[in-house]
Amino acid sequence: MSTRAARRRFLVHGAALGSGLVLPTMAAKAAEVRMRAVWWGGQDRARRTNEAIQIFEKQRPDLKIATESTAWADYWTKVATLVAGGNAPDMLQMDYRYIVEYARRGTLLPLDAYIPRLLDIQDFGANNLDSCRVDGKLYGVNLGINSTATFVDTAAFAKAGLPLPTYAWTWDDLRRVSAEITKSRGKGFWGCMDSGGGEPALEVFARQNGKDLYTADGKLGVDVELTTAWLDYWQSMRKVNACVPPDVQALDKGSTDSAMLVLGKAAIDLRHSNFLEGFQLAHKEKLAITMYPQTKGGKWGQYIKPSQMMSVAATTKNAELAVSLSNFLVKDPAGTKVLGIERGVPASPAVRKLLAPDLNDVGRAMVDYIALITDKVSPLPPAPPTGAGEIQKLLNRQNQKVGFGQATPSAAAKEFVEESKRILGA
Amino acid sequence: MTAAVSESRVRLPAPARARKAKRRVDTRAAGYLFLLPWLVGFFFLTLGPTLSSLYLSFTDFNLLQPPRWIGAQNYVRMLSADPRFVGAVEVTLLYVVLSVPAKLAFALGIALLLDKGIRGLTVYRALFYLPSLLGASVAIAVLWRQIFSADGIVNAVLGVFGVAGMSWISNPGTAIYTLVLLSVWQFGSPMIIFLAGLRQIPQDLYEAASMDGASKWRQFRRITLPLLAPVIFFNLVLQTIDAFKAFTPAFIISGGTGGPIDSTLFYTLYLYEEGFGNFRMGYASAMAWVLLIAIAAFTAAAFVTSKYWVFYEDDGKR
Repeated sequence: MSTRAARRRFLVHGAALGSGLVLPTMAAKAAEVRMRAVWWGGQDRARRTNEAIQIFEKQRPDLKIATESTAWADYWTKVATLVAGGNAPDMLQMDYRYIVEYARRGTLLPLDAYIPRLLDIQDFGANNLDSCRVDGKLYGVNLGINSTATFVDTAAFAKAGLPLPTYAWTWDDLRRVSAEITKSRGKGFWGCMDSGGGEPALEVFARQNGKDLYTADGKLGVDVELTTAWLDYWQSMRKVNACVPPDVQALDKGSTDSAMLVLGKAAIDLRHSNFLEGFQLAHKEKLAITMYPQTKGGKWGQYIKPSQMMSVAATTKNAELAVSLSNFLVKDPAGTKVLGIERGVPASPAVRKLLAPDLNDVGRAMVDYIALITDKVSPLPPAPPTGAGEIQKLLNRQNQKVGFGQATPSAAAKEFVEESKRILGA
Repeated sequence: MTAAVSESRVRLPAPARARKAKRRVDTRAAGYLFLLPWLVGFFFLTLGPTLSSLYLSFTDFNLLQPPRWIGAQNYVRMLSADPRFVGAVEVTLLYVVLSVPAKLAFALGIALLLDKGIRGLTVYRALFYLPSLLGASVAIAVLWRQIFSADGIVNAVLGVFGVAGMSWISNPGTAIYTLVLLSVWQFGSPMIIFLAGLRQIPQDLYEAASMDGASKWRQFRRITLPLLAPVIFFNLVLQTIDAFKAFTPAFIISGGTGGPIDSTLFYTLYLYEEGFGNFRMGYASAMAWVLLIAIAAFTAAAFVTSKYWVFYEDDGKR
């Protein structure tokens, strides 16, 4: 018996031990300057960024920059773990959603002192600089600007005999054309994705109705009534088969490759403008871009924000180098030409002019889109409070409950508001 | 293993018995020697983080700021004010209750078939074991997504019979069952252990039983099951612990959300989301300890009740 038991236990625990093995890392050579940079994003971004960084590295033979990129979903887990473990990378890509949290906790280096000597970004304009400030200090370099945007499959519109939507279209228009597209096609194709669980979409809808999703003091800005109207609208979409059913929408993980439009299940997708290039690469029909639908008699709901920023860790030993590299990525032609507009439209007019001749149709459409909406947007809302990420998932669950018939729109809205308040600690 | 057991069934002369006792001491030393890598790993790699997670479970810790002591608040919130925690416990218990018996029954069934001494046994054994090697991998979970999605293989087959399918993995009513199926499909390792157990049952018992006119079913119930009880017990404990800890399939198949509507929100998945997604490391640590205690309690209960249904033939007095 004892042999039997011992052997079995060995089998079980041997496997456990195997996963715990750690390989020793190579010791760094003393003469080298080593830095680390991390970002989220897909393959195209990784290829471009690595190439740009290699060009920067060549300028200094002693410099070695290690880079790492992950998907958005894993990125914040990784960064938080690195920071908590005292291993913050020298440079980290930041998002508007997280910059307040990281800056206020002293994780990031204020960059104002480096302007203009190392960081020549005054031409970004006040808006594109202020959107990277927290409590009056600059904590990120704007890597590109974007806004929410609707992508449409032009072929599907042509097949249904519909004109392409313009920026002035309304939510009612969206329902009408989507239902017609569904009708014009066979099984397994619908007019629109189900964006009832999409936080950016709810935010735009709320702002069109004069509310912010979050107030300046970090409270939930939408009430039960407005949320009910929102969830109700999407239920009305489902009723007329205008959008994909909930069990199909549930496969959308928020990444480009699982988007309803890219999977060929829907003709309309509500996203952010900088995704256009990736979507077009993955879609065989020509895509067009326009604004989110409007609320009749409402206000402009969209806003222009930094799609990403480059931040420097407060703990870096090579602050000047990190700032120089940031500048290289957004101002130096050698860097900006490689990066292109993959991260959104560059904030610098000079860089936009430099890139213009080389843009393909998709790139030009994206730049034109930002130009089109510049006078049709409202000011940047306050940065989202801690817990906003959780509320994003909560909204998706409540929308699913309505879609799968487990709750009425008003019951789901009530739960959404109550749970959000609990998450925000109010 | 087989040699040692069959030896014990033969009456040995006295000097041989003494030799056997000495060997028992040797094997015990060998056992600890084999355990050594695990012990080293436990004391040098696992113990520290385990203890610090016990400390963190009494703190409010968001990874970016130093942990703040809040006493038992995490445990209080878990047990009184977190509906998603209750949901996660329900989903996990459902998964354990469905997947473990189904998997063990399936594994035993296949083991019984293979035990008939068919030709090419090793090939079949390897083939049936294969899913267990692959099962925990990301690729298989992705494959599972494909099989059970709206335009997956399952619906294609159903379509042949005129049944309109749905997206099984993204429907709150069915998603958990696709995970149970995935678990059952990984029946390889309990099957191998069952097979080894079956090989140890003396054939003469069956011969005697069939001479007395016992049916196959009666032989299975009166001979196979009782003699296999220690192996069943071992598999039950291991598989239950595994099921409580299941993470990867649900994480991949639900895209990390435990969705739709938390229908696949396994305990470990919620723990991960709270710790690394919502930055409540203290709460996640408390959840980890509650899981540890729950698994320990189950295992203890299994050992206590085993007295009444598990019999070991080589130390008959138990």
